[in-house]
Amino acid sequence: MIARTTIERGLLWGTGAFLLSVPWLIPALADRFWVNVIAEILIWSLFASSVNLLFGYVGLLSFGQALFFGFGMYGVAIGVEKLGLGFWPALGLGVAAPVAMAFVAGVFAVRLTWHYFAIITVVFSLIFYFLALTMKPLTGGDDGISFTLPSTFRFGASEWGFAQEAFQYLFILFTVAACLYAMRRLLGSPLGKAFMAIRDNDVRASLIGLNVYWLRLIAFVIAGFLAGLSGALFAFFGRYASATYMFYHVSGEAVVWTIVGGAGTLLGPLVGTSLFIVIREVVSTHWQHHSLIVGAVAILIVIYAPRGVVGLWRDLLDRWSAPKS
Amino acid sequence: MSPSSAGRAAEPILRIEGLTKRFGGLTAVDRVTLAFAPRRLHAIIGPNGAGKTTLFNLISGFLPSDEGRVFFAGQEISRLRPHRISRLGISRTLQVKSVFQQLTVSENLWITAQAKRGVMNPFRSTSSYRDTCEKVERVLEQLELTRLADRQAGTLSYGDVALLEIGMAIAADPRLLLLDEPICGMSPAETERTVVKIRELAQTIDIVIIEHDMEVVFEIADDITVMAQGAILASGSPKEIAANEEVREAYLGRPEDEDYTEEPARA
Repeated sequence: MIARTTIERGLLWGTGAFLLSVPWLIPALADRFWVNVIAEILIWSLFASSVNLLFGYVGLLSFGQALFFGFGMYGVAIGVEKLGLGFWPALGLGVAAPVAMAFVAGVFAVRLTWHYFAIITVVFSLIFYFLALTMKPLTGGDDGISFTLPSTFRFGASEWGFAQEAFQYLFILFTVAACLYAMRRLLGSPLGKAFMAIRDNDVRASLIGLNVYWLRLIAFVIAGFLAGLSGALFAFFGRYASATYMFYHVSGEAVVWTIVGGAGTLLGPLVGTSLFIVIREVVSTHWQHHSLIVGAVAILIVIYAPRGVVGLWRDLLDRWSAPKS
Repeated sequence: MSPSSAGRAAEPILRIEGLTKRFGGLTAVDRVTLAFAPRRLHAIIGPNGAGKTTLFNLISGFLPSDEGRVFFAGQEISRLRPHRISRLGISRTLQVKSVFQQLTVSENLWITAQAKRGVMNPFRSTSSYRDTCEKVERVLEQLELTRLADRQAGTLSYGDVALLEIGMAIAADPRLLLLDEPICGMSPAETERTVVKIRELAQTIDIVIIEHDMEVVFEIADDITVMAQGAILASGSPKEIAANEEVREAYLGRPEDEDYTEEPARA
């Protein structure tokens, strides 16, 4: 009998090897455009991870993460197009802006919990969505701003940048993988355990001496960082930024991906995001109402697998590897 | 937790002066003045609604008091927030058992033991904190929970959850432990096991316990305080309390009899 951890480790290595080989494997086997679809999946799963950190590990359901995604996008686009920054300073701006915004919004938002928290996050993202729509000279409003890609690395005559598809893909892959690894470290650290204690029982958490408000604020800022970084990557990936990505519809999608994949599991957001984006890509070319399928899948999973696809998978593994009595 | 010198022994571990809490028109705690001497096991008894749990909530900072002051080992704690009070060394359990459901038993103890020492490190692994891990092992052994160390707290039996909660209270290295009905809802066997543990703990930690089971209270307490309608009715040794006419009338004897005779009349 193979132990459960062996199976999971094998699966993880397999997925890792596949993801690394995508820029060479996909063009050989399938349509090239799947390289970019997978890159997009990686970016959105990083975005969903920010929802996961808040909801799955701290117990705060945010419907406003798109605000930080949008700030990440605009940080990069405004940095490159209006301020003439290079790749790295623009990326820095695309991370610093959402982190600062998350701190400001968090100071107010984490005073609240449950639906009050969810509502205030929506309100914050709506305010800035409408601001971005009206401040056309700066943001381009609905049309957004597109920009010319700066190169990422330059060694003498040779340049590396997002213009090269393989480089773009690998840069995204390594960034997302590094974030997930850091999150894994976080979950095994004192800070991570404190988050989970607050998720399970915030009253008890304050009784044992945890500063619940401060810890929630820290989690909110870290989530803002993850959402902002994914937005910054998406801006470089799409070479533009637009206010439409700040709408709460975008936040809501990340919540669905996270819950379907498995909130409170490290890879749940990746699984949920992959599932839905693959469905979208496969079905939308044949049938324009692909969101009906997405909705049906989401409802079925929420009803029959409340801990998401990853939870379902773990239950199956447990049942399969449990000693027969 | 140094053994108290003669000078400190005189100073009460907890001193309450004129503490009052009103909920609208109801005065839940009414000008309560109390002092708990160190190194003794104190019990607070009283009928439902006497204000016992509210008193705990005021001491632990869970509710703001309307009037009065609370001193812990000489330091005023009346206006501090719960996590500050907890860090000073007051641990408490809740009447409705509450642990961290999705964490394992040892994780529950770990985070409780570490909470005061700082939890802001996002990268260091919890297993590398040797002091805290040793503390967890000791508490697990002390409460005979070692076999359940890796079980999720949400899957434990009621009696084990209650033990875990006491374990969490002592994992924080408190100087004062407030136990709110620790054996409520337990089977006789679980009760016996828990009473033994509480007695052991009382050797090293000052304990104030709220309990309804009179048999248990008179068995373990050094001092008993009786509350009724938010105020202190009597205070003294178990013998004095048992002999106190007022207490007997108000609480120990008659009211229950009256309840039984009243029931049919209402029907």
